[in-house]
Amino acid sequence: MMKKQGILAPFLFIFPALTLLLLFSIIPIIVALIISFTDLSLAGLADWSRVHFIGWNNYKSVLTDTVFAKAIGNTLFYVIIGVPLVVAFSLAIAIMINFGRSAFFKLIRLVFYTPSITNTVAIAVVWSYLYNPSIGLFNFILAKFHMGPVPWLQDPTMAKISLIILAVWKAIGINMIIFLAALQGIPKEYYEAAEIDGANRWKQITKITIPLMSFSIFFVSVTTLIGWFQFFEEPLVMTKGGPLDGTTSVALFIYRNGFQYSKFGYAAAGSFILFISIIIVTAIQFKIQNRHEKQGV
Amino acid sequence: MDSNKKSQKQAKIIVGVILGVWGFITFIPFLWMIASSFKTNAEISQIVPSLFPKHPTLDNFKELFFKLNFSVYLKNTLVITAFSFVGLFLNAMAGYGFAKYNFKGKEKIFLLVLATMMIPGQVTMIPVYLLLNMVGLTNTLTGIVLPGLVGAFGIFLFRQFMSTISNEIIEAARLDGASEWYIFTRIILPISRPVLAVQGILTFIGGWNSFIWPLIIANDEKFYTLSVGLQLLQGQHGTNYALQMSGATFMVVPIIIIFLCLQKYILDGFNVSGLK
Amino acid sequence: MKKQALWLVILTLVLSTFIAGCSSKNTDSSSSKSKEITFWFMGDGDKQIKPIVDNFTKETGIKVKIQSIPWGSAHDKLLTAVASKSGPDVVQMGTTYMSEFVDAGVLMDLTDDVKKNETIKPENFFSGSVNTTKFDDKFYAVPWYTETRALYYRTDLLNQVGYDHAPKTWDELYDASLKLSKRGEGKYGFNVDGGEPTFGFMFARQNGSKLFDDKGNPQFNKKPYVDSLKYLEKFIKTGAAPDHDLKLDISVGFGGEGIVPMFISGPWMINAIKDNAPDIEGKWATAELPKGPENNISNTGGSNLAIFNTSKNKDNALKLIEFLAKPENQLAFFKSSSSLPTSQKAWEDTTFTSDPFISTFGKQLKSSEPMPLMKEWDQITQAYLKEWEQIYSAGKDVQKSMDDLNAQTKSILGK
Repeated sequence: MMKKQGILAPFLFIFPALTLLLLFSIIPIIVALIISFTDLSLAGLADWSRVHFIGWNNYKSVLTDTVFAKAIGNTLFYVIIGVPLVVAFSLAIAIMINFGRSAFFKLIRLVFYTPSITNTVAIAVVWSYLYNPSIGLFNFILAKFHMGPVPWLQDPTMAKISLIILAVWKAIGINMIIFLAALQGIPKEYYEAAEIDGANRWKQITKITIPLMSFSIFFVSVTTLIGWFQFFEEPLVMTKGGPLDGTTSVALFIYRNGFQYSKFGYAAAGSFILFISIIIVTAIQFKIQNRHEKQGV
Repeated sequence: MDSNKKSQKQAKIIVGVILGVWGFITFIPFLWMIASSFKTNAEISQIVPSLFPKHPTLDNFKELFFKLNFSVYLKNTLVITAFSFVGLFLNAMAGYGFAKYNFKGKEKIFLLVLATMMIPGQVTMIPVYLLLNMVGLTNTLTGIVLPGLVGAFGIFLFRQFMSTISNEIIEAARLDGASEWYIFTRIILPISRPVLAVQGILTFIGGWNSFIWPLIIANDEKFYTLSVGLQLLQGQHGTNYALQMSGATFMVVPIIIIFLCLQKYILDGFNVSGLK
Repeated sequence: MKKQALWLVILTLVLSTFIAGCSSKNTDSSSSKSKEITFWFMGDGDKQIKPIVDNFTKETGIKVKIQSIPWGSAHDKLLTAVASKSGPDVVQMGTTYMSEFVDAGVLMDLTDDVKKNETIKPENFFSGSVNTTKFDDKFYAVPWYTETRALYYRTDLLNQVGYDHAPKTWDELYDASLKLSKRGEGKYGFNVDGGEPTFGFMFARQNGSKLFDDKGNPQFNKKPYVDSLKYLEKFIKTGAAPDHDLKLDISVGFGGEGIVPMFISGPWMINAIKDNAPDIEGKWATAELPKGPENNISNTGGSNLAIFNTSKNKDNALKLIEFLAKPENQLAFFKSSSSLPTSQKAWEDTTFTSDPFISTFGKQLKSSEPMPLMKEWDQITQAYLKEWEQIYSAGKDVQKSMDDLNAQTKSILGK
């Protein structure tokens, strides 16, 4: 099918982006891989002769670190609960917003989008107040209904859930506009034809909208999954990983060891364990998607 | 048909109510932030929360403008944001390359691209910094912009959307003798307007909020961005919440305006079949 | 003749500026930089330090480029400077960073300069601050500003429970706290700060714990340390202190009804209380820490000024440090940033002697020590925070916790 100009063309298209990625992502990743086998610390950064190769030692000690084990457990908790919520909510909201064209729907679209564009520091301040055990708005409202108080950030399990609520709140906006863009691509004729056939709205959504959006659903699932495996900012600004390491994620663990304690080799080893887990999960997602596509054809 | 129309209207109202309530809940934290930016710090930390400021004040904003090296930070932020749109174009090119061509090792290369998303940014920060330092790009705008210019997220997004464009359009153009470049810029990009808008918004936000690279790369305050400036206001001990709130509010407003403008043109009633 | 001379002067002036302009353009950046030194400052430099540095430039003709760095990212920024070997000439170094950066060998050894210079000799400063600049008998920095912790208390509420003075001993502190907590539901006497990494270590010192023995072995599971934590645990068990972080703003926690009418903190709280809790003006005071069985040593921190090893302008950099170390300039810096002077002489100024809130800190500084200066310290304090959390929120036995902390510390130190 492809013509002659097609042999070189694809490489010209991907070349600029790929070069930049190679320089600023792939080579640094390889450097980080090498670092993960060393005892690099601040002293090593200043004077390379103080860096030593220590083989698999970093990996061995990371894997026996109880905090790391806890961080893995927490991260799985975040991923398993958070990812489906983000995908489902943003898809549902996008479809609902797509129902109408009036100013109200436009306004709503903007409303859902605001959390994603807000500065993290401000988010942390606002939500710390909402979750505040003594003067927080949430417990204030609950008290009006003679409920609570809920230990939003004080109990290890509750704190994880609280962070998920915050992160879902923040993530809906971006994914929603991706879905909205995908919805724009569905030709109106499809719905008109379905309407003539007497299909109700629900049927139209399940039989036309969702199948035609599978490419964007796949995108959002993959990127959200990758993102949540690296869940980081929320625990950093809200709880610093506490209480009792109940909210420490793997990425936060890596940050703490790398940037707070300057144990770069140790942090790099931790991140490669994370890296490999994400690759495996993503590869599985691609396999499933390919199988679906083949069945579809 | 008539009953159908009626039920459609009913559905619209139900959906509208759900969205309204859900939207309001989503908006509360944001509303609180904006309202707080007009409060004094003492009022923010009262035991009985008040949403609307009792004695609205513009002091926070005044202090912000007075304290920040405002014009410099704004200029840098705009320059960085503008440059990041070059990256948007490169992402689109790469996305198209992966979506509409078959070549050897495509899947593997693409997975390699995706892999760059899978490692926490802090781990690669020092290697990237050393690399830029080696080629003498530290303390330059290029050094600030370059590392984040392209990203797997954008490439993947374009790939996904562009793969839904029908091959016939491309083939027809090829038969007419159009060059690959012409096809990409004159046919593919116009069709991809919705996703360009999405990525455009994301690019803008990324550039607008850029913080860590401007700080790490710059050895001169003349390269600082608004985000860095805002962070400077945070003291070692304790925080002036009111000032932070007004800073955050101030940074969000331009994005909302941009979003309002963009969505009017691009996300509304765009129809692929409307193109010739 | 006169006119001609004037023209000659003008001509030479124009020519010389022209040549100077050219030459500075033509030569590479390193030589043009030699007239200008760079200074990394943490926080908002424009307001806090620029006016003072401008005076320095006026006085000496040395230009200074100040770069402000946000506190939250200071460590990251310093890391990259170390990695690329392109640090500033003068850098503000948090006292807790010192050991790590000295160990990495990136700070210039200033021993000879410090010893022979009248302005920056160690005797001028509080010994607690000097100790943060000294490693293996060499000096790597000059103390700049300091902070220490003292007791804040509500005079009116303490009066109600029969105290016309601040608690002077551990026993009084506990007694007053317990009485204050009996005021009603949700009221406490004292705050045992579960998020403050130095809290337990400070109390342990007051109980005579040396923290580490001569060989550097941790002493956390020994009696003095364990007993001090048991003392703190008692506050929580009896409800004299809250068992979780109330996360109250100072206006609510300390102001108003005074949910927590006593707490230990640094000088920055003075302004916070004045600004946010104006309702309790005249009803609160600061006091030196209550004496433990052995002493009332507080914890000191702050920042020093150091020179990066890569600096090519050591002489000028040193001049800036010397300038900033002068009592009058430390005083000016206090006025712009509320940072306490390290220079003992500066404290003789009426700004400090006439203000009872601040002068407390001046007295406390004479009985203050920095936390142990070791590069692993941050990690050890994190381990301590977790163990302490286990004690107060999960009821873990204190001795058991401290055995664990001691073992963890040994493994962190590689012993």
